[in-house]
Amino acid sequence: MSTRILGLGHFLPPEIDIGGARRPIAVDPVGPSTLAVEATRGALAQAQLSAADVDFIVFATMTPDANFPGAGCFFQDQMGCGTVGALDVRAQCAGFIFALSIAEQFVGAGAYERVLVAGAEVHSAGLDYSEGGIQVARLYGDGAGVALIGNAAGSGALRATAIHTDGRRHREFWCEYPSSRQHPTRMTLEDFRAGKHFLTLDVDKVRRFGEELLPAVIHEALAKAQVKVTGIDRFIIGHVLPDVAETVGRQLGVEKARVNVPAERYGHLTAAALPVALSEEVARGSLASGATVCLAACGAGFAWGAAVITL
Amino acid sequence: MRNSRILGVGHYVPERVVTNEDLAVSMDTSDEWIQQRTGIRERHFSDGSTGAADLGAEAAREALARAGMRAEDMDCIVFATLSPDVDMPASACLFQDHLGIGGMPAFDVRNQCSGFLYGLATADKFVKTGTYDHVLLVGGEIHSTGLDLTTRGREVAVIFGDGAGAVVLGPETDARRGILSTHLHSEGKFADKLWVECPSSRERPRFTEEMIVGDKPRMFPRMEGRYVFRHAVTRFPEVIHEALQANGYTPQDIDLLIPHQANLRISQIVASGLELPEEKVFNNIQRYGNTTAGSIPIALYEALEAGRIHEGDLVCLAAFGAGFTWASALIRW
Repeated sequence: MSTRILGLGHFLPPEIDIGGARRPIAVDPVGPSTLAVEATRGALAQAQLSAADVDFIVFATMTPDANFPGAGCFFQDQMGCGTVGALDVRAQCAGFIFALSIAEQFVGAGAYERVLVAGAEVHSAGLDYSEGGIQVARLYGDGAGVALIGNAAGSGALRATAIHTDGRRHREFWCEYPSSRQHPTRMTLEDFRAGKHFLTLDVDKVRRFGEELLPAVIHEALAKAQVKVTGIDRFIIGHVLPDVAETVGRQLGVEKARVNVPAERYGHLTAAALPVALSEEVARGSLASGATVCLAACGAGFAWGAAVITL
Repeated sequence: MRNSRILGVGHYVPERVVTNEDLAVSMDTSDEWIQQRTGIRERHFSDGSTGAADLGAEAAREALARAGMRAEDMDCIVFATLSPDVDMPASACLFQDHLGIGGMPAFDVRNQCSGFLYGLATADKFVKTGTYDHVLLVGGEIHSTGLDLTTRGREVAVIFGDGAGAVVLGPETDARRGILSTHLHSEGKFADKLWVECPSSRERPRFTEEMIVGDKPRMFPRMEGRYVFRHAVTRFPEVIHEALQANGYTPQDIDLLIPHQANLRISQIVASGLELPEEKVFNNIQRYGNTTAGSIPIALYEALEAGRIHEGDLVCLAAFGAGFTWASALIRW
């Protein structure tokens, strides 16, 4: 028996044109919890389980349904998962790897048998579509991906995760407002009119850190899992700049066909990027049971991580 | 499998004390009204550019000192808050920056009044599985910058205060000691009974001027007090019993109950329902108000300082709040 993925699902809203790029955009006014509900149907069907079989929810997002409570609560309600715990995790672009690692601990410690790990984002609601903001806005998309994990027999396993954060770099990729440290009030009309609620990033630094941190954390996870680069059937790499993921693939010496870069197709889906891409490949049969994949992401925080998983 | 245990506890509240009379200057309320309904006499409000991570860093320094450890010795940082320093990234990142550390994972837990216990459950599991040896768990809040301090917002504004608490968790090889179990619940059906709705990714766009300055600005907290009260007095005892039963104990075995400091009246009803005498329940909401994720570790710190917890005591932590979420943890000290 080992802790493994029992089912995967994903949901992408219809694509529309954003600054010359096709992006999945949730036009209907729904939050990430609702996109995750759509994604979960597939995951539960694949595992041949129902919502009542879920013991715990770990929800990763940086674009929550409400300021508080967490998106996990909205998700739990829509799923009808009794009164199970719903943990909301904030680790930005690396959110899914963090959530997966957390979920694995709860299963490994025997606290829960089956945990739903959701990564979902509705970026489009918070982006700056003005002329000045469109170059950043077109980097993002909306979507949700879900993995149900639990203990089961067979060769499938979550073989290793590695997660890191260096908050000393947080100003290079952030959205400062609303900000609880702004006294006397978090967000004034002036702050709003100045567009302080839009995210900003230092593209050069974000690129450089990605190129430096991703190969390192991938090698760390591979070493933990005792797998070589050649033993990985697919690298799925999440980064806001798709060319970084391609560079990392080259650095690892991996041919293009073995590298999946979701941001190339959908824009960056942050916490949703990795489970969406993994679920898509499983759904279309390009990754089958027994395949070994390496998921990796790096972004705001800075937070970064990698996971090695045998399906 | 090993357990985790608390190696050190720290707390920090900003200096400025705001009494009920102080609040009555900007809103129609009174000391008598607030005390009668909540038990709160005063709370602390921050100034300057102090954020949740600043308070958390102070609390963590104290917790680390008491554990005899350094920040860089920590294998993982878990930060529970509902009032983050910035919209993105997590307050855990700013917290690392304040302490001058980096490399170990740091993430936020966003589970409101139950945030500290959701964080404790998570930190505990990382230690139990052997993934990490030492986890620094912080609960920190700056409510004061998010409150409507006019008569319009008084029902919620009088309740909350700023503050932070922190604990250092480490391994415990004796399976009968340390954190014995944790129990987590949620019921999102009641999300709108106590919430800050906006900014909201369910809206298009997620943030508007109307959310800041409308007749009912939706960036301020709103609460249906009767709902919260009614569910709290049911869920608190339920989740405490769940923790006791999981370990083969009854309420009589509890040496100290530390409920999340939501409302003194709720704590009193819960204690009397469990037939716990006053000396077995710790309350300090009178001086801090509700500091959400900060409340349990601040209370834990004060209970230890006051000599209310002894080696070998059975300590029960429990919380209920926005989400709704509720949780408990049972600890053999």
